[in-house]
Amino acid sequence: MSMMEVPNLGTVYSGEELGRSLEGSSGKAFSRRARLSFYNRTFKIVCIASAVFVCLILFSILLLMGRTGILTFETVSLKTFFFSTEWVPENEQYGAFIFIFGTIALTLLTMVISVPLSLIIAIFLSEMTPAWLKNALRPVLDLLVGIPSVVYGFLGMTVLIPMLRSVTGTTLGDGILAAAIVLTIMVLPTISRITDDSIVAVPKKFRDASYALGSTRFQTVVRVVIPAAKSGIMYAVILGMARALGETMAVVMVIGNTPQLADALFKPTSVLTSNIVMQIPNVPFDSAWNYALYMMGFILLVISLIMIVVVRAIQGRGVKS
Amino acid sequence: MKTKWFRNLGLAVMALSLTFGSVSAVSASSKLSGRIVINGSSALLPLTLQASNEFKKLNPKVKISASAAGSVTGPQSVRKGIADIGACDWDASTSVPGFAAFSGQVANKVAVIPFAAVTNGSVGVSSLSTSDLQGIFSGKITNWKDVGGKDAKIVVVNRAFGSGTRVNFQLKALNGTDFMTKGDNYKEVKSSGDMKTAIETTPGAIGYIDLVYVSGSKMKAVSINNVAPTEANVINGTYKVWSYGYYMTKGQPTGAVKAFIDYVQSSKFQNGSLKKLKFIPLAAMKK
Repeated sequence: MSMMEVPNLGTVYSGEELGRSLEGSSGKAFSRRARLSFYNRTFKIVCIASAVFVCLILFSILLLMGRTGILTFETVSLKTFFFSTEWVPENEQYGAFIFIFGTIALTLLTMVISVPLSLIIAIFLSEMTPAWLKNALRPVLDLLVGIPSVVYGFLGMTVLIPMLRSVTGTTLGDGILAAAIVLTIMVLPTISRITDDSIVAVPKKFRDASYALGSTRFQTVVRVVIPAAKSGIMYAVILGMARALGETMAVVMVIGNTPQLADALFKPTSVLTSNIVMQIPNVPFDSAWNYALYMMGFILLVISLIMIVVVRAIQGRGVKS
Repeated sequence: MKTKWFRNLGLAVMALSLTFGSVSAVSASSKLSGRIVINGSSALLPLTLQASNEFKKLNPKVKISASAAGSVTGPQSVRKGIADIGACDWDASTSVPGFAAFSGQVANKVAVIPFAAVTNGSVGVSSLSTSDLQGIFSGKITNWKDVGGKDAKIVVVNRAFGSGTRVNFQLKALNGTDFMTKGDNYKEVKSSGDMKTAIETTPGAIGYIDLVYVSGSKMKAVSINNVAPTEANVINGTYKVWSYGYYMTKGQPTGAVKAFIDYVQSSKFQNGSLKKLKFIPLAAMKK
């Protein structure tokens, strides 16, 4: 329908407005109109096709991962896969509990360290810094987001782990704490920048009202500004969480990659992502082992999709309020 | 099944890039033509790439595409018909710990790969017996002082299950004894490069690696049963921890595939480029 408007315009303004372009084209106005409508229609189709293509990719990934992953349960029972701690491909034992638990524990530990830190950084950036310093610090944080994760992993392996070893006296140093520290450094800029933006977006009148009532700057920030920016902060935390959850390269280099439960901070362990990347090059096709790795990928995918849905919901609420 | 077309796609992309890269081949008189797809062990990839470059100059009508993942993908790709040659660090026509034999495949030896048990430079142990190694890698011996070193905890660094180096080390150095799988002082790494870094940076660490990776003072290759891991000792038969690298084919190779394998096995290539890449020529092993 909207397509037809352009050719109609052509007839309405024919002559003066469009001038020679109308006559200059080979012959009658009709052929130009037909051509325009052809272009418009083609463009529309290309646009729709691109959108459909993106959706198709998402659905085919979900389908492929899910369908291949489901094959795990032909040989491994649901209960074994989700609750057994025995992951021994040599003996056909595929209990993924260690990795699911590891992923959750690692993400939570990362959040416990990174959220308070990022919040403080964001408050400092938005409430206490003079403008010139703000303008210098924000690009620094943005650049930090762009550093490839393998660089963080490498530094974690060669700098952080020896440091942890000498500070704590453990022999190996690999484990969930080392991974959480590396991930914290990775997600810190993401969380603090988005939190910063949402704090800046809190209207000045809120602060003015708070100060007028006699509150100190600390009270204003903690009681007024942060509650007002709550949905933005939640959004930042979930984005950071999604990044921590799916991170692979940085984690695989510092976590130790041993299928044992992460019940101590310095015990080599493994998470979903690191286990997949460690084992996929050596896995026989059409084996329960391969399917189990796909299932683990599918679980990761589902968790991150849920997070995206939650982010959307929060965003929607933020817009309303 | 599902992974097959993924890998196909990968191979196609590889093939395409290699085809474009090799259009300007030097004119040669060979009439041989065809297409060879090689997949498998990353340890053998440098050798495969070098050989295919040289081979394509001699036979410009032959297209070779080579890629690598893990050792086991080699014979698997051959079985699936995705690849003509599957590079593998062990003889995949026989069964090894963890992997069943691939029946109907022929193993063509192409090179000799020596491995070494390596420790962090600070450990202070220069020789270990087979039973020491078995004890250490199975987790029974946990302190260096029990094998003649200083009083320090042993950290075992292992390759992930499925690694060709792991299969060979288990067979040749540990006589098939199982590795430990758990513990506070045990970790796994995913490649030879990561192994090197882990050994170099972890005090008290022990692992194993292709001999070509051993260099510098932060990492020390230990003698096994008092035999030093050197090329000469591999050739004279006293150092046992080495294996052949294999090209697996479906049945006896024919046509261009056969010509390519013949080229890799030829004394010109074996004593030239293969030696430069620090593999040991096959001919040296014939006593």
